[in-house]
Amino acid sequence: MAEEITISINTKEYKVASDQTIMQAADKLGFHIPRLCYHPKLSIEGACRVCIVQVEGMQNYVASCSYPISDGMKIHTNTQDLRRARRDIIELILDNHPLDCHTCERDANCELQRLAASMGIHARHFEGEKKHYEKDLSSDAVIRDPDKCILCGRCVRMCSEIQQVHNLTQAYRGFSTVVMPAYNMPMGESVCTACGQCINVCPTAAFLEKNYTQDLFEKLNDPDTVKVVQFAPSVRAAIGEAFGLAPGRNMEGELVASFRKLGFDYVFDTQFAADLTIMEEASEFLERFQNNGKLPMITSCSSAWMKCMEQFYPDLIDNISTCKSPMSMQGAITKSYFAKKIGVDPKKILSVAVMCCTAKKYEASRPELIVDGMRGVDIVVTTREIAWMIKSAGIDFLNIEHEEADHPLGMSSGAGAIFGATGGVMEAAIRTAYELYTGQTLVDIEIEDIRGLQGVKEGRLEIDGQEIRVAVAHGLGNANNLLETVRKDPTRYHFIEIMGCPGGCVGGGGQPYAQVNAIPLDDVALKKRAEALYDLDRSKTIRRSHENPDIQKLYKEFLQRPLSAVSHKYLHTHYKAKMPVGIVPKTERGSGV
Amino acid sequence: MVTPLEIIRKKRAEAVNRIVSKGYLSTIRVYVGMATCEIAAGSKEVMEVFRQAIANGLTDVYLSQKGCAGRCNLEPTVEVIEEGKIPVKYGRVTPEKAREIVERHLKKGEVITEWAI
Amino acid sequence: MEDVQYKMMLCDGVSCIHNQSKELQSAIESELDKSGIRDAVSIHLSGCLGMCNKGPILIVNPGYTIYGGVGSEDVPEIVQSHLVEGKPVARLVIEEDHLYNRFFRIFGDVDFFGKQMRITLRNCGVIDPENIDDYLSVRGYEALAKVLCDMTPEQVVAEVKKSGLRGRGGAGFPTGLKWGFTAAQKADEKYVICNADEGDPGAFMDRSAIEGDPHTVIEGIIIGGYAVGATKGIVYIRAEYPLAIKRLEKAIEDAREHGFLGKDILGTDFSFDVEIRLGAGAFVCGEETALIHSIEGARGMPRPRPPYPSVSGLFGKPTLINNVETWANIPVIILDGGEWLSSIGTETSKGTKVFALAGKVHNTGLVEVPMGTTLREIVYDIGGGIPNGKKFKAVQTGGPSGGCLPEEYLDTQIDYESLAKAGSIMGSGGMIVIDEESCMVSLARFFIEFTQDESCGKCTPCREGTKRMLEILTRIVEGKGKAGDIEKLERLGSMIKKSSLCGLGQSAPNPVLSTIKNFREEYEEHIEQKKCRAGQCVALLSYVVNDECVGCGACKRICPTGAIEGTRKEKHLILDEKCIRCGQCYDVCKFEAINKV
Repeated sequence: MAEEITISINTKEYKVASDQTIMQAADKLGFHIPRLCYHPKLSIEGACRVCIVQVEGMQNYVASCSYPISDGMKIHTNTQDLRRARRDIIELILDNHPLDCHTCERDANCELQRLAASMGIHARHFEGEKKHYEKDLSSDAVIRDPDKCILCGRCVRMCSEIQQVHNLTQAYRGFSTVVMPAYNMPMGESVCTACGQCINVCPTAAFLEKNYTQDLFEKLNDPDTVKVVQFAPSVRAAIGEAFGLAPGRNMEGELVASFRKLGFDYVFDTQFAADLTIMEEASEFLERFQNNGKLPMITSCSSAWMKCMEQFYPDLIDNISTCKSPMSMQGAITKSYFAKKIGVDPKKILSVAVMCCTAKKYEASRPELIVDGMRGVDIVVTTREIAWMIKSAGIDFLNIEHEEADHPLGMSSGAGAIFGATGGVMEAAIRTAYELYTGQTLVDIEIEDIRGLQGVKEGRLEIDGQEIRVAVAHGLGNANNLLETVRKDPTRYHFIEIMGCPGGCVGGGGQPYAQVNAIPLDDVALKKRAEALYDLDRSKTIRRSHENPDIQKLYKEFLQRPLSAVSHKYLHTHYKAKMPVGIVPKTERGSGV
Repeated sequence: MVTPLEIIRKKRAEAVNRIVSKGYLSTIRVYVGMATCEIAAGSKEVMEVFRQAIANGLTDVYLSQKGCAGRCNLEPTVEVIEEGKIPVKYGRVTPEKAREIVERHLKKGEVITEWAI
Repeated sequence: MEDVQYKMMLCDGVSCIHNQSKELQSAIESELDKSGIRDAVSIHLSGCLGMCNKGPILIVNPGYTIYGGVGSEDVPEIVQSHLVEGKPVARLVIEEDHLYNRFFRIFGDVDFFGKQMRITLRNCGVIDPENIDDYLSVRGYEALAKVLCDMTPEQVVAEVKKSGLRGRGGAGFPTGLKWGFTAAQKADEKYVICNADEGDPGAFMDRSAIEGDPHTVIEGIIIGGYAVGATKGIVYIRAEYPLAIKRLEKAIEDAREHGFLGKDILGTDFSFDVEIRLGAGAFVCGEETALIHSIEGARGMPRPRPPYPSVSGLFGKPTLINNVETWANIPVIILDGGEWLSSIGTETSKGTKVFALAGKVHNTGLVEVPMGTTLREIVYDIGGGIPNGKKFKAVQTGGPSGGCLPEEYLDTQIDYESLAKAGSIMGSGGMIVIDEESCMVSLARFFIEFTQDESCGKCTPCREGTKRMLEILTRIVEGKGKAGDIEKLERLGSMIKKSSLCGLGQSAPNPVLSTIKNFREEYEEHIEQKKCRAGQCVALLSYVVNDECVGCGACKRICPTGAIEGTRKEKHLILDEKCIRCGQCYDVCKFEAINKV
């Protein structure tokens, strides 16, 4: 228990708990010290020096993000000298930053801009040379623009601490310092999992998703194609934030209406395919469970996790469910079952996915997912991109009349909705697996043990007297921790859900930027987005995937039954070990490979 | 039980014996500075001259290397210590000078004052 | 050798003065006059020789005879017997009882070594660094044995505290406190690190110490390990020091063979081993947290402190990290006592400091002087003054992040506080003497170019700020300086000093700020009159033909741009707008007929 000590801030005394940094204490007392590289979920970098304060008796300023308070400490946060030093520091950052705010993707949504405005930088004293590095456009999902980078190191810490991918690091020294993948590998060839969390934490536009909005606008004008869109559960839970709403509003009706206004002929819901995924995945699990198949079975919905797994956990490939992700299932069914149903050549269908995710852009291009020579999904845009398109097209998103998605691929159960939150896939799978196995309906369907933002969650349930142990991890770092356990103790769990992003899809790399005065990936916002999905689940009469009548119809008319040959052709995939240049998979380290 | 201090005293006695057995008690001891800076200034070649001289029959001389004494502008340095006499330190020694030191100082006992520091 | 002059050294330490060393000096002088050998003997005053209890101390060189407790009544006997007859006065000779003393006996190079006091370098240039027998013969590893025999870890820490030793890497943190903090931590593993990542351009103290006497450093590290409860030591040394690495490796191997490293050292239950890690040559890796990151395999970048390495260091474990020179003090402290070391130096800074003396000075080299020695003594007495009759302009201490001190600071004493007060730093021991031919603006620019290049790029002030300072300085030396540039340099400089993350940034502006403070008029001349008084800034230079010109045409022929006109046997003319300031005309002229203005 921390003792209570007295500190003074700007000559006023306060009693505070001792185990805090200056910044933490000041925050609670209502002093928001300006900051830039600081992020509460990441380690302390102390790099930007914006949060400096004056402590009496100390010769130099101290970074309030890292310096602990002590009894009797006299702190000044806003002296004239300090204001000037801070201002000069921000100017130095601006002086080495392109002056192209008006053409920048993050114009009006940029932390650096806001910070500069709050410092009152109206003149430049120190301008000179600017660094220049070429943009890295090699990845289908995440692009890198080092000229915009201000070297706060948030992306580096996100990538190595939260995601434990360690793709990004600073390279070179001094003025030439730049953030890049190891050996200056292009992002597309690096170990980047395309999760896009670097974009989420970047204060400027040094990382961005590869933008497909112009391409999509153009294709929406093509009269010869049938334009079909699907959208992920988490998109509806977060897009309101891009229009200034507080986190946690379900904007499903607004989205469907906007899609139609943008020119889509059919609006489907990825939640439908989530139900379909559960049918296949729950069946696959039971198949393995009953026939001594490879366990634990690990989910395969998250595309960043898929790439991560192929690179770093090739030893676990047999444990991974062969199910495609809901997006890819939806795409495959759209171009087969649905195309047949409306009597259109599937090659004439433009299949678009609106996702909370940047890695889905990468997933859509995976050759393993091609069926009958066609990609299931042609274009993937993120929540951010679609929000911009809606604004750009002049659609009054907030006041638009709500509409509903189309049949036959637009209706879902509540189980499909909760896919967007960490633990949701597992919960949905349990609801169905239980019934498929026992023939009885699970009554207590809200499984609290595996909800929430704890890094690794465990749960157990009994099916017909047999204990099933499950685990859930979100964020690739938590996944790494969980899988290290699995490698040591392979029988500990039967079924594991892994999502690549913190909080699951609601915290995806394609979600709206943090709002003014909000922290990117703030837990409260993540929880509210998840809550919106749980509310959606509760609002539905049908809350189990196998009860979705459109799903039942799909099996009857097309797929026959879960895991059938037809299912396998359209809904299942395979993986292979990928060894990126310069990286040796963990299992092979030590054996000298 | 033998204490560490006793061990170290024994080790020191042995060390001194070993040094003596290598000829430390010769009439003349010659030290050549052999740090990076001295080697860069050419002390390896100088060392070689003394080595050759001993190989060619110069006796009663103990030759050893040592670290940098800090006289950078005068390197390479060579010290000649004669029992009972004032030590002489030569600066900016070249192989040619070294050969003369062998001939004049080591063999004939003549201190070449103009090269001494 | 009848013609040898005697050089006498009289201890000028506080305690010896108290014991009437002044009276002794005049007594000697008058006695020499009486004997008629005044010209054959020179008298020097030395800093405290650390033998205060036996003062006043008089040393006669060559031969390094030490007389202790000398009174005026002893002087005639000394002069007659020793100086005239060549027989030292046995009854007054005292036994040297400290490790460091053996040095002078061998050298007798009084001008250079007279004011020096070699503690950490006591064996450098004396023993064969590649032979452990040499080290053993000069009481090597006795300190370790003593510690293992008679002292608890707490007593070792207390002894180091008593010595008043402060970190020799530059910041001057009290070493004993650091040891105490690390020792107080509870952890399953602790580390001891020797920072040998010497990065200051022109500095080679650590390299010389390791090349000349690697065992002293290793012995210090082992004692440190014992004191704080560590089992593993790491020497982080830059890869550019192949000879030092080789000798260190050999020394570690030999020490292991003799049972000074490894399991159950010298028959006790204390186990400790040392390994070498090579640095890749980044200046910033001399900063302790960056160094630790580098050892961990990460990019060498500093992190904010606290937590200090003594609490959370290498791999998150309590880590004791000291510089080479600091470690080399440890065996001396153990054998000669902390109290003895603390008798040397000034109020706040104890012991000695090693400097790499360089620049425009007669005797460049490695010197070790007691704290409290003045800059003047180092530059003029040890360094022998400025060569070629040039005027002294400034002395720069503390390497690329130190300050430049002009003439009026020459009597500043070497200690951490005095140097800081004068506007410079102790640093790790670089000392560069500057004469009138050096341009202070160019000099400042050179150092900021270095720190800018070596900035790790992590924190904004250092990464961006030093770049802007460099740009401003570059335009000033190129004659494109603008009004307000000095103020911008000052503004950036003070911000960078106060706001940077680590010591590199916090000290990077020092050369600029100190030259602005002490040589502001040079900056102003560059900016306002486009003039460089040292004639060093090429862009500000014009070549003009004077009346000595005989019209030989040599300059005209050699000029690569045809900037020189004139008919034979008449005075030539240099066209300034065509001149590229290559200086070839200046060099070729035999009549000194071309001036640089």
